[in-house]
Amino acid sequence: MRWGMVINLAKCMRCHACVAACRIEHFLPLHVTWMKLIAYEVDEGGAVDVSTYPVRCNQCADAPCVHVCPTEASHQRDDGIVVIDANKCIGCRYCVIACPYQNRTFLSIDLNPGYFPGYEKTAFEKKGEELYPHTVGTTEKCNFCAERIDDGMSRGLVPGIDRDATPACVNTCQARALTFGDLDDPDSEVNALIRKYKGFQLRAEYGTDPSVYYIDYSHGGRSNIAPRTAQTGSHIQHLSSIDRDAARRLHIEPKSARPKEAEEVTS
Amino acid sequence: MKTQTRRQWIVTHEWMVKPMRQKEWISGRGVLVWLAEVFSALGMGTYLVGLLAGIGGLTTGAWWATVIGWLLIVFFKLPLHFAYLGRKRNFWRAIPPFTRAWRTSWFARGMFFSIVFVSTGFLQIVFWYLLHWVDLSASAVDIVTVLAWIVGIIAGVFIVLTGVYCGFAMSYCKSLPFWNTGLLPVVFVIMGIADGLALTMGVSLVTGNDVAIESLEFWSRILLVVNALLIAGYLIRAYRRHSTAELAAQDLIKGSTAWVFWILLVILGIAVPLAISFATMLMAEGQAESLLIVAIVCHTIGAFALKYSVLKVGIYRSVLPNVG
Repeated sequence: MRWGMVINLAKCMRCHACVAACRIEHFLPLHVTWMKLIAYEVDEGGAVDVSTYPVRCNQCADAPCVHVCPTEASHQRDDGIVVIDANKCIGCRYCVIACPYQNRTFLSIDLNPGYFPGYEKTAFEKKGEELYPHTVGTTEKCNFCAERIDDGMSRGLVPGIDRDATPACVNTCQARALTFGDLDDPDSEVNALIRKYKGFQLRAEYGTDPSVYYIDYSHGGRSNIAPRTAQTGSHIQHLSSIDRDAARRLHIEPKSARPKEAEEVTS
Repeated sequence: MKTQTRRQWIVTHEWMVKPMRQKEWISGRGVLVWLAEVFSALGMGTYLVGLLAGIGGLTTGAWWATVIGWLLIVFFKLPLHFAYLGRKRNFWRAIPPFTRAWRTSWFARGMFFSIVFVSTGFLQIVFWYLLHWVDLSASAVDIVTVLAWIVGIIAGVFIVLTGVYCGFAMSYCKSLPFWNTGLLPVVFVIMGIADGLALTMGVSLVTGNDVAIESLEFWSRILLVVNALLIAGYLIRAYRRHSTAELAAQDLIKGSTAWVFWILLVILGIAVPLAISFATMLMAEGQAESLLIVAIVCHTIGAFALKYSVLKVGIYRSVLPNVG
């Protein structure tokens, strides 16, 4: 099993919802983003247009960050996800330098001044410190929402199919530009997309074998991909698990909160 | 044709799109890495030259050179690296046997090399002290001499490894084409030994020329010429190898880092010491001391400039294909 993601550049509508979902899911500090939407100018026949690439950690099969980590804090799970153990990280930043995709962030105190520096922390920040603490002095990056995958799989759910076992960014993408699944399964949706639309990896020449693939068929005719059930607004539901009143205001029930969050809400 | 922007609602990025400088190891607290690496080279060179000079004939100057080299590693290189760490209390996790990362990580290897050097180097310094200053019996001298040889060889090997590992650590980074070459560790080692020769000359001036300065100067001349050629070769290779490496080389030669490269490294770090070294060949003994001090200072400035300029022009390739 090797989890992977396919990003359809032709479908991405640059709404930044994935960026927001990631921030909410992991209670990211103010200046830290694990998931980024990189914008750049392109020349479209004399007119300058703006195009974007959604980028995050590529979860490389042969990850340089894992090789260079002196403490084995950066390590690869059996399912291919590269994770960082903050308890082991010494903050040497060698992985930040060695990552060919520049997708690692060193969490210095300057990057975590609070959402409103000089003011009291918001309820969101306080909750984040309990549910998803970030350790200043260590390196951070996208982990494909490994905690969602583990929790979902422990309940018999399938990542990429079932929302509660699927990364937040994939759930949130309204354009369904993100697809998640098992790269080792030749029949998976991700492999079907890669085969059909000639999926490519960023800087494949480095030999790192990223688990994030891109497809761009915008110049080859559009082809609609069947809608899936694993989509839409999990971040609203996630917020609802933090604040029951918010759930009431939104007229939704917090039904899929993870055990720890549910505990917090009910206590 | 006049260009126009269709959409202006999104701010475009340069990061990942265009080649960008690495900042982690040179900006802000990153200067600690730069300084640590400079002292790593100076410590390596001074200890190694002192050790080799002492093997040729143990003198006060040779002993002091090994002591100064050892002190530079213990009290400058290692504390500076330690100060840079984000979570200092976890530093022990990078040291074998608490980690198995030495199989792939040059940083973990470097920690191991440094610890072995610090231990064996200390013993070697103690043994040489006993041999040079303490009256030992003939049998004790034999035993201490053998022990000094054993720990000296180990310390000598590990000080070279301590000096060279940062070059390998940097050359491992594929996305920084200017660093990603096997020549980098060689340049660092050669320059480190040349700096060590200069510092040992300084020590010898203080201890009464008991380490042959002519011999140190001879080797210094050779290494300076070799290093000048290596740096030239390095830049030519960068120009030919990759467009991003070429960009880094251009920055070094005519960009914002050019003053460090030309004035501090090439002129002060290489040309002036080389000129002084040749000039002293024509001078009578005793006349060249003040010039030698100038050469030693220039050499040391060159050591700082070399690491600074290489770290400063570490430029990442763009991440996104076919843009920028």
